[in-house]
Amino acid sequence: MSEERVMRQLTIRSFHCDKVEWGDSFSFKKDGSNYSMTLKKGIEEDLKKSSELFENLTIKILKPGEHHVKINSVMDIIPISVKALGKIGEGITHTITGVYVMLTGVDTAGRQICAFGNSDGWMDEKVTFNQPGTPSMDDYIILVDVLIKEGYATKRVGPDACHSACEMMCDPIRAFLKKFRDGDENERHVFKDLIHPGKKKVAVVKLVSGQGAMYDTHYMAKEPSGFTDGRSIIDSVGSPIILSPNEYRDGALRCLYG
Amino acid sequence: MGVGPSTKETTLHHFRDPLINLIAEDPDIDFLGVVIGGIPDRNVDKKFTGERIGAWLEAMRCDGAIVSEDSWGNSNVDLAAAMEAIGRRDIPQVGMVLIGTQGIVDQNEYMDTMVDTNHSESGTETNIVAENCMTMAEARKCVALLKLKMSRKYGHL
Repeated sequence: MSEERVMRQLTIRSFHCDKVEWGDSFSFKKDGSNYSMTLKKGIEEDLKKSSELFENLTIKILKPGEHHVKINSVMDIIPISVKALGKIGEGITHTITGVYVMLTGVDTAGRQICAFGNSDGWMDEKVTFNQPGTPSMDDYIILVDVLIKEGYATKRVGPDACHSACEMMCDPIRAFLKKFRDGDENERHVFKDLIHPGKKKVAVVKLVSGQGAMYDTHYMAKEPSGFTDGRSIIDSVGSPIILSPNEYRDGALRCLYG
Repeated sequence: MGVGPSTKETTLHHFRDPLINLIAEDPDIDFLGVVIGGIPDRNVDKKFTGERIGAWLEAMRCDGAIVSEDSWGNSNVDLAAAMEAIGRRDIPQVGMVLIGTQGIVDQNEYMDTMVDTNHSESGTETNIVAENCMTMAEARKCVALLKLKMSRKYGHL
């Protein structure tokens, strides 16, 4: 039986952040053995102006365990990652651990931005922590909450604008994250897309939201788990696409809203 | 994300999906890739997507598949359509979805091996983010069941 073949390699370097604060400008820098992040004061005002659909936009930095807060329905939970070399699925990705972005929203009539069922309420009662898709109890959460104009909670442009604003907050952090050098990371994981000749050929099929209006999933954005330049599964009317294992685990998918 | 908060797979979930990591590291499997199908609105589109998934897997000479959806209710039509299209092509498969006490609303003879992602006491959509999402435990179950089905069909792995 012939040897395994390596089609491509993806290195994910993770940078562990254990301090998030407000500051005069954005930054993401080495702080002891880990990293610290500052968010620019006044960014909320800038983001609020980014769409005429927004009535308000607030950002809260929640420390680890600070979960007894009122939230609107959760649209998404997002890691901050950037390509340092190559494209999605190969090369090098830098990602931040220890802090994740949670995007929530509601319209001025009180309609939560969600599909069937909403998760608004006390965060500690409405989120199961320590899951693959949620922060752990030790993680910071950057809570981005958007108030949009009445009626836009159920129109595609409303949640799209929320995700776009979220991206604008992440991009300045990505610019810092991209510049770190080999060896700066806290952890490094190397993933290979392999062909195992002679072994049973297995595919994973994942069906994801794409019904229109209230549901969408994007794939293959410019940055891992990003929004900009992602393709919409609504636009392809659900037609299947194929991702390599490495593309998938390099953040090929962005979930728009519940 | 999916149709309700408890089954929603977030962007973070996809970034560190247990199922993909498990299969990619399995030396007994030649992992072809991940087929992403949408859950469109109209029934005719749901059937179209399911049928195209079956055609893709046949063209890829796929020996086995794990089919999951982070949704429930009417979205089960999409899952049933995909699993029927795969099953008609005689490709061993395992499905994974929230079943709980609410069940699967659209079923067919090809959905004979299903893994339940329910973790709630009520067995329903609970509106608690990620409560009924797949974890490594369900991922392992899917891979074990698929290997069993494949070894039965092919006589070996």
